[in-house]
Amino acid sequence: MVMSGSAYRRFAFAYGAAFALFYAISRARGLALFTVYPAQGVVLLGLNRSRDVADPVLEFLAPEMYWYGWTASAAVGALVIGLLAALLPDRLCRFWAWCVWVVPPMAMIACVYLTIPWFRL
Amino acid sequence: MATALLILHGLVAVSLLGAITHQTLATCASPTAKPYSFFGRFRAVRSAGFTNAIVVLYLTSWLLGAIVYLYFKVDVQPSLERDHHWHTLGFFDLKEDFAAIGLGVLPAYWSCWLQPVDGRSDHIRTALTLLLTFIVWWAFLIGHVMNNIGGFGW
Repeated sequence: MVMSGSAYRRFAFAYGAAFALFYAISRARGLALFTVYPAQGVVLLGLNRSRDVADPVLEFLAPEMYWYGWTASAAVGALVIGLLAALLPDRLCRFWAWCVWVVPPMAMIACVYLTIPWFRL
Repeated sequence: MATALLILHGLVAVSLLGAITHQTLATCASPTAKPYSFFGRFRAVRSAGFTNAIVVLYLTSWLLGAIVYLYFKVDVQPSLERDHHWHTLGFFDLKEDFAAIGLGVLPAYWSCWLQPVDGRSDHIRTALTLLLTFIVWWAFLIGHVMNNIGGFGW
């Protein structure tokens, strides 16, 4: 797909804003596209918790990683929104431009909120 | 292997830190700075010239960090949890979150710097540059602290 400069800019602005939003939502709701088990070298689709299926001690033997899955979920969602924005009229560029510098800092604040449990231990 | 990747990740991060700090100061320093002052010399460089390097360095650093993270989870995090470094782990989680959000912002940042600037995108360009600078500094400092606590051995 070839985009004009203006369409690319709309895509980039919408992608940046949507990525941040979807990342914060994925992080909050546990919407990982896949789960990585680095000790075993296994990747499973969706969000999986090792202690859900067996003894809780398995969490230490098979630590799971969601960060890759959250990032992938956000990237897929943002790609869809970005492509839609590229197809929409240019007059909406101002809206996407506003979103791209407002949404990411707000998503970062949401991530700080979601990290608070670490600081209560 | 993990140590070599971590060192490479650190070297790329240092380059990225230098490039983005230079660009940010060149963008934000007062235009009335004296020509031979520190900021005057910073402003003399063409800040847009750093853009491609910053994008490539950010992507490289992110990719290397994503690979090293696998080793971290298996070899380092259990010992940090055993020693109750909860705050450090929380800050590290934020580093990962911020780095991912920065990755999403990268196309917009690139677009703002490469296309002709009007009054509106000038502000967005500055905002995105400041945001990425914060993310890069945060990631660098937390990564450094983490490495000092539970770094990889030879």
